[in-house]
Amino acid sequence: MLRKILLAAGVAALSMSSAVSAQTVRIADVAELSGAGAAAGSVWHDGVVMGYDEVNAAGGILGQQVELQAYDSQTDPQNSRAMVQKAIDEGTYILMGTVYSSSTIVNMLVAQQNGMPQFTGSESPTITAQGNPYIFRTAFGAQKGLPKIGSYLADDLDVSKIAVVWANTEFGKGGYNAFLNVAEANGIEIVADIPTEQAQVDFAADVSQVASSGAEAVFVYLTEEESARFLLEADKQGLDMPLAGDTVLVSQKVIDLAGEAANGAFGHVGLSANAPIPAIAEVSARFEARFGYAPDHNALKGYIGAWTVKYVTEMVGELDREAFAETMHGLCLDAATYPGVLMDVCWDESGEISRASFLVEVVDGGQVITRTLPAN
Amino acid sequence: MTASPKYLLYIAMLVALVLAPLGQGNYIVYVLCSWLIFSVAAMGLNLTLGYAGQVSLAQAAFMGIGAYITALMTMAGYHWLLAMPFAILSCFGIGLILGYPALRVQHHFLAFVTLAFNTLVFLVLRNEEWLTGGSFGLVPIPRPDFFGFSTFKQVPFYYFALVCFLLAAGAMAWIVRSPWGRAFKALRENPIRANSLGLNTRLMTLLAFAIGSGFAGLAGAMMAPLVQFIEPGSFTLIHSLKILLMVVVGGSGFYYGPFLGAAIVVLLPELLRFTEGYYLIIYAAFVLVLMVFSPNGLIGLWQKLMDRFRTQQVERSDLKDGAQL
Repeated sequence: MLRKILLAAGVAALSMSSAVSAQTVRIADVAELSGAGAAAGSVWHDGVVMGYDEVNAAGGILGQQVELQAYDSQTDPQNSRAMVQKAIDEGTYILMGTVYSSSTIVNMLVAQQNGMPQFTGSESPTITAQGNPYIFRTAFGAQKGLPKIGSYLADDLDVSKIAVVWANTEFGKGGYNAFLNVAEANGIEIVADIPTEQAQVDFAADVSQVASSGAEAVFVYLTEEESARFLLEADKQGLDMPLAGDTVLVSQKVIDLAGEAANGAFGHVGLSANAPIPAIAEVSARFEARFGYAPDHNALKGYIGAWTVKYVTEMVGELDREAFAETMHGLCLDAATYPGVLMDVCWDESGEISRASFLVEVVDGGQVITRTLPAN
Repeated sequence: MTASPKYLLYIAMLVALVLAPLGQGNYIVYVLCSWLIFSVAAMGLNLTLGYAGQVSLAQAAFMGIGAYITALMTMAGYHWLLAMPFAILSCFGIGLILGYPALRVQHHFLAFVTLAFNTLVFLVLRNEEWLTGGSFGLVPIPRPDFFGFSTFKQVPFYYFALVCFLLAAGAMAWIVRSPWGRAFKALRENPIRANSLGLNTRLMTLLAFAIGSGFAGLAGAMMAPLVQFIEPGSFTLIHSLKILLMVVVGGSGFYYGPFLGAAIVVLLPELLRFTEGYYLIIYAAFVLVLMVFSPNGLIGLWQKLMDRFRTQQVERSDLKDGAQL
């Protein structure tokens, strides 16, 4: 008798668990939750978590709840590749992440081999230049953003000589190459070319080199922690010239880390929590209330990525990865019909994104939007 | 252990290695491949550190040299079987060239020299963009085919890595049991006595270092097609320290130490992943406790435990005084 009861209980438990799994869509987020990229990856992950929680609250995807699984890449490209493989083995429907370009360039190969659509937070130009039909950005690459800051430097600030401080990594090198083209196109001479290391802590020599270079402005293209350290050192040495950057330099994370030293820095951002868009302001407020800190562009990227997965899957009408990837190419989503994307957005055939963007300046520890630029 | 149970154990281990990937997901097979590759690199360092007693912090640099040579050659259309020996011989040669002046200094001084070499290799790999691809790395590195046997999928690649691993392990077993291996051990235990017995200590140390580097070259040649992407950041000092950790945790100077150490370093973080944010803390605490209580690593710890339970020879008390006379 006891055996029968146990057997019946076992069968019931099994059928219940399969019923639960049949009602969920598994989605993996492979992010930099530890290591040098944790400042960016953990914020991205929080954005993804909030996005899918809200998707679930709105009825999930095709009526099924999303089961989000986090994987830590440890900011190590090889480990990120292993984690993507693990996520695919464990039956993820779509892949979110990674943020660091040096990881994405590795793990997107595995996703491509498995026909897995992937939403990345990476901004290196090389990501969408690989001809991978499964990669989709959540913010545009540096090659699209930098011309905007280039023309601002040349036309508005009248800069003709500039110093460039850049991270000598896959991310930094991509942005640096793009900036060289922009500088040439705008007639700006590069008078100091300063590569730096990942996880570099001392920028004293770099700042003094900039100060003595005769530059009229400095363009800083570093990751979060290094950007903050550079700003602190520039403040300490009293570097008196415009500090320009693209997205990261003026991101909320950098402002939080650098404190008052970030004031005066300006740059171009694809996404900003301070953008004059009510939907972004509402999401930012909810994010801050939930996680206890202000979101930056990475949080918004993750959030938008989560909602895009819902919208596109429901357009396709089933959990079909091939059809999902095909639908994404050339797709435009307007924020009025699809409020989760926050701003009107389009993806081209390479997975590159097109969206309006902003010029911002850091004032009193916060981003102030100085201009809204149209999508290009 | 008598001969037959010993061979039975070897056969059981081999069967376990052959069966290991069956029925597993691609991720587990990938992790097993990583374990085999890092075991080969750690084996080489064990020869330098555990047998010859020299601390090298350049194992990842040699792995990088092997990986880049393999990647460049296979991407240029040469077969892996041609690229692999070239990678090993290059690392062996560079090991000799580096070791000859570097081994004038020993122990922690040698560690500093090899540390500088590792940094130098990283900078060359990153800055010589025309050859190495710089920060962008090299991609996509092809996986080799052997007479119609494609290693493109994960399980066939595992068997390819297993064959390389077994050949390397066999070569290492031969080296440590050969007169060279005994000379390496003599060198570690007492270099002055080894010298007085006619051993050319300089040559022996140099050979141990160069052979260890050659093993790293093989590991690099296996790593490049596994990941299919290499970049300078994968061969920095932190990775050399990781390989050093494998040797020390497993038990330096023990033949099976590197295999066990690589398994701990590669697999333990995976086993602890269910602890989520705490897994790196638990992992670090485990290594700390192990090093405090058993500096000889896990195999040293096992031997300590076995010695407690094994019957021991007790000195005759009536001979104690006699022995002192």
